[in-house]
Amino acid sequence: MLDALSDDGSNISEADDGQEDVMTPAELIGKLEEAWLNEKFSPELLENKSEMVECVMEQLTHMEANLQRVRKGDVKASVHRMEIDRIRFVLSSYLRSRLQKIEKYFPHVLEKEKSRADGDPSFLSPEEFAFTKEYLTNTETYLKSVALKHMPPNLQTVDMLKAEPCLDSFVFLRVRERQENILVEPETDEQREYVVDLEEGSQHLMRYRTIAPLVSTGAVQLI
Amino acid sequence: MDPSEVEFLAEKEVVKIIPNFSLDKIYLIGGDLGPFNPGMPVEVPVWLALNLKQRQKCRIVQPEWMDVDKLEEIRDLERKEETFTPVPSPYYMELTKLLLNHASDNIPKADEIRTLVKDIWDTRIAKLRLSADSFISQQEAHAKLDNLTLMEINTTRSFLLNSLNCMYKLRSNLQPGSSRGKSQDY
Repeated sequence: MLDALSDDGSNISEADDGQEDVMTPAELIGKLEEAWLNEKFSPELLENKSEMVECVMEQLTHMEANLQRVRKGDVKASVHRMEIDRIRFVLSSYLRSRLQKIEKYFPHVLEKEKSRADGDPSFLSPEEFAFTKEYLTNTETYLKSVALKHMPPNLQTVDMLKAEPCLDSFVFLRVRERQENILVEPETDEQREYVVDLEEGSQHLMRYRTIAPLVSTGAVQLI
Repeated sequence: MDPSEVEFLAEKEVVKIIPNFSLDKIYLIGGDLGPFNPGMPVEVPVWLALNLKQRQKCRIVQPEWMDVDKLEEIRDLERKEETFTPVPSPYYMELTKLLLNHASDNIPKADEIRTLVKDIWDTRIAKLRLSADSFISQQEAHAKLDNLTLMEINTTRSFLLNSLNCMYKLRSNLQPGSSRGKSQDY
């Protein structure tokens, strides 16, 4: 019975840009937590991490399948269940914050998806893409049936209001890899722009636009 | 971010417990724990420590920094300095609250510790308010926030960021012909 739980979880290999990244399950959970915080605090929708999500799901299902074989009331099993619940919470919160952004900015998100070059990675996972399209159709149908069809013919089209994420929002961040010469734009016309160095481990408050590329490379962590 | 989510992150911190049961190593997804032997100290994440404590299966050993003398020193330094001093743990407030609420019988001088940590917290939050005020009045575009903990950032986050966004909108609307100031909401 205990064998079922003594599963160390073999290393997960992840093909990324042709090169193999080998991660331990613990590192995978770390990555999930980073992605969760970044997604929570960035004003725009970040790149999808469907591979990571799948790996986490795999770990969870695997562990849950093992737990099925254990009798009730086992101390170890209860600890495993608690861990599973914690990971599941982070995972759902991560996916939910993505969906919230999609619902808020769907015309913008779809536009970005259309204008993306063929080789570039998609911002949406296939499931999220389907959701976005359906959300758009449903919103249009709803507006039509509730209001538009009662309008005079020349007013029956509607241009979906294009809500865009405000990239000029301020964010809090912690630096993971030292960065030099980050340009800080002035707030007012009287001030001049200047550069700052971001030391490893230091924390900052600045505009998202300035450091957006560093979030996707993982050089800074939003907090 | 909800304060309970910050607490959730704090629960990942490691704390020493003295179990009163024996159990082999547990292979969790996030790493291995144990083995557990009665009377032998072992390190576990706080979430597990609290759960075992509630089931009366262990005694929690307080973290080294959770000590009246050390905290008094930190409090005095924090009051003396104008900037934020380094904190003993990135989750000092959350851990104090969690451990003292659930395991105060394992921690000597629990009340004194509670008061000291509250004093440190209050001093730091007062500094944070002051610096947020000068950040806004000087219209800065960048601030360094070393030694601030996540919980501290979180207490001011929504208010500060929303105010900054509002000010940004107002300011960009002042410049005629600028389309950047269009409202982001619908």
